[in-house]
Amino acid sequence: MTRTIHLSLDINGQSHALDVEPRVTLLDALREHLALTGTKKGCDQGQCGACTCHVDGQRVLSCLTLAAQVEGRQITTIEGIAAETGELHPVQAAFLEHDAFQCGYCTSGQIMSAVACIKEGHAGSDDEIREYMSGNLCRCGAYNSIVSAVREAAEAAR
Amino acid sequence: MTIMEPRKHGSAADGFVGGRLSRFEGQMKVTGAATYALEYPVENLAHAVLVQSTIASGRVVSVDKAEAQAAPGVLLVLTPEDDLGLMTKSDWFGNRPDNEPYAPLPREISYNGETIAAVIAESREQAVEAIKLLRIAYDETPGVADLHDPKAGDGKVMDNLSVSWGDAEAALAASAVTIEAEYQTPREYHVAMEPHGLTAKWEGDQLTIWEPSQWTHAMALNYAEWFGLPPDNVRLISTFVGGGFGSKGAALAYGAVAASAARKLGRPVKLAVTRPQNFTSYGGRAATRQTIKLGATKDGVLQAIVHRGASETSVTTDYPEQTGAATPILYKVENYSSQSRVVPVNTVTPGALRGPGKNPSAFGIECAMDELANKLGMDPLELRLKNYADRDYQTGKPWSTRMLREALTQGAEAFGWSKRSHAPRSMREGRQLIGWGIGCGTFPVIQAPSAAMIRILANGRVEVVSGAIDMGQGTYTILAQTASEALGVPVDQIDVLLGDSRMPGSAIAGGSMLAGSITGAVHKTAAAARDELIGLALNAPNSPFRDTGANTLSVAGGRISVSSGNGPSMSLPELMTAIGQSELEVTRNTLPDDAQGATDQNAAWTSMKRVQGPTMGEFSMHSWCAHFAEVRVDEDFGTVRVSRMVSAFDCGRLYNPKMVESQWRGGIIMGIGQALFEEGMVDGRNGRTVNNNVGDYLVPTNADIPDLQVISVGVPDLNASALGGKGVGEVGIVGVAPAIANAVFHATGKRVRDLPLTLDKLI
Repeated sequence: MTRTIHLSLDINGQSHALDVEPRVTLLDALREHLALTGTKKGCDQGQCGACTCHVDGQRVLSCLTLAAQVEGRQITTIEGIAAETGELHPVQAAFLEHDAFQCGYCTSGQIMSAVACIKEGHAGSDDEIREYMSGNLCRCGAYNSIVSAVREAAEAAR
Repeated sequence: MTIMEPRKHGSAADGFVGGRLSRFEGQMKVTGAATYALEYPVENLAHAVLVQSTIASGRVVSVDKAEAQAAPGVLLVLTPEDDLGLMTKSDWFGNRPDNEPYAPLPREISYNGETIAAVIAESREQAVEAIKLLRIAYDETPGVADLHDPKAGDGKVMDNLSVSWGDAEAALAASAVTIEAEYQTPREYHVAMEPHGLTAKWEGDQLTIWEPSQWTHAMALNYAEWFGLPPDNVRLISTFVGGGFGSKGAALAYGAVAASAARKLGRPVKLAVTRPQNFTSYGGRAATRQTIKLGATKDGVLQAIVHRGASETSVTTDYPEQTGAATPILYKVENYSSQSRVVPVNTVTPGALRGPGKNPSAFGIECAMDELANKLGMDPLELRLKNYADRDYQTGKPWSTRMLREALTQGAEAFGWSKRSHAPRSMREGRQLIGWGIGCGTFPVIQAPSAAMIRILANGRVEVVSGAIDMGQGTYTILAQTASEALGVPVDQIDVLLGDSRMPGSAIAGGSMLAGSITGAVHKTAAAARDELIGLALNAPNSPFRDTGANTLSVAGGRISVSSGNGPSMSLPELMTAIGQSELEVTRNTLPDDAQGATDQNAAWTSMKRVQGPTMGEFSMHSWCAHFAEVRVDEDFGTVRVSRMVSAFDCGRLYNPKMVESQWRGGIIMGIGQALFEEGMVDGRNGRTVNNNVGDYLVPTNADIPDLQVISVGVPDLNASALGGKGVGEVGIVGVAPAIANAVFHATGKRVRDLPLTLDKLI
């Protein structure tokens, strides 16, 4: 059988141990090995943004990141941004209120991107939001509402 | 950071039909808790990966799989040499050939990218690695790459699509003003964010399929027929669908491969179609070309339309993309002639993609009308209003409702159209040429029956149950609203269960026919459940309502009470406890009374047999829209940006304007992609789809899209559906591309007649 490596990943503040082949991506580790399926696979080649997660607070494409690369780093996924009480993160609440999604498949990535976009200070204007949210494709076409949601969440964060 | 109060289900006031209730399943989608097909936990999974052909035409001579089979983790390699023992399934209309074997891994290859083998391994990574070790030998024969290949020829006429009335050629010849032009649209793809795929699991001769689906019952039957199983032996689960746009309505070859592999291995198999493989695993919109001739009087009264269209299809199936679909019904014209051809080329059989037929058709007629307006020196808005169709000139039938005039005038008002300087190249800001254009759109009202179940539980919760699906259109939401209104129970007391072929059958989520159909079924079922509940309350031995002497009761706000207000009032759980009822279950459907047998019902939920076209009754029924686009074209570089759009729609009554506006914008955005970016590129040497990924096949990003203003001008149309709505999802894209192309002409004075409007065509 193929060689596996032992990894301990810090995901959403919890430690997860897993044995995977070295070539397993962070995305597949989450979805196929840890049952964290909130992170989506849209293209598996770094083009669509559906798999966006945070590593040490920065947005990364988990399909282009090997699981082995992120041992010892803090990984945050869509499952980890609401409050422990279950209260939605302001970006999640704004997405719901503004109907910033339809099918929901790009939504996790959009929200993870939006949280980082606001934190980066790249949500200063609608044009800036559009530009810094353009790594996340939405084929249902919720872009207007995504801009509104990010704007509202950014204003609330100031 | 302040925590905002989440509005899980909007406010209670939004709960009835027509309210702006927030997306019912939204909380699950924003937290990652919504489970899509490939995300169901299934024990002991094996992983299948497809292999696609690298030639356009010929045959697989041999597949040397020894090395692949010996690779780590590999469990099974399937090739054209394996007889999977499957039989051909029924077509869309429920017709099925007798005893015709089906080979999802064919030896004869008819297009590049056709699935010819699969490797199944313990992990996906191992399967991907093993594929590299397959040695496939082909016997290649000459193929036809695409519609533009000189070998493609003119194809064949589809007689059933020929339409004519009056004498179009004579009227054209006699017209004072004429235009003639050819318009082309390229191959376009669905690119739903969730790629296709499935998990298949056998338990004895029971098969469970988790697969994104626009039609659960029909797809379950597809599998049953392939494997020779009784229909009830297959269960297809599709609770959430990551977009479909027409691509997820039928089971496809890869599904047969995965289910076959699962049966052979005796363990469940997951098969994820890769993004590049999605481009040839099912057909997108066919490339089209059409010639349009218009004849008019000097003051712009249309005299004749002559349309000649062609679309590419596969060498195995005649699938027409109907470029003549919108041409006959947008304008008043007494003389009309249309003919359509299909041109077989070596491609996967094309399929339905948002606004099928109507979309490329509107590109032709709406650009042609703009060309006519320019030749006449007339405002294109005025030309459209002048030739307004007072009825359907093809069938002679009256419109059920047609608020296209209002869409044009109110859209124009909101856009500021009256400030347009009509001469091309007459509006600019610095080096940016500004253009304003109009494009109208339409999509037929297609009707089909559906069934639904309502369960009132002892705890007072109400379940709405249907095999219908929600791929983002808002089915969960509008069904909660419909049941709430018909039952008198608040939406937060309602659960909606969808997307399972074990649930009551429904119309396909396609052709914009589901919402009107399934709201009708749920409304009927909920009303029946309400009547049964009231009957129980009045007649059950222990009911406190039994001795009130009331003839009926009212149900409102989740409470049941005597209508006069004098008497008991109880919540649903209180009543259910009082009368000792653990559950009340009611199922109804909207099939006619003479079609309630099992055969008729099964046919209705799995084929097009009961589908009604837009003119089958006494009216001609359609949704309508008018798009107004502003573009900015860089004078030096020819880059086009859409800077503003206003779109006005007549889709009848809106069940939930918030969901509807999202769908309209989604259609418009896909139309902007079609206008500016989207084009399947084919390698002429071997028919390969060159840009089979979303880095090269460009779909709109957030930065490409301006604020889109959408306006509803519709009125309830009770001929179109039980609750008065017309279709919403398809029509949004129709007319967008011509509005933008017409705006680009207005900006630049250059008429581009083949999509997309890339800079090379403008400089």
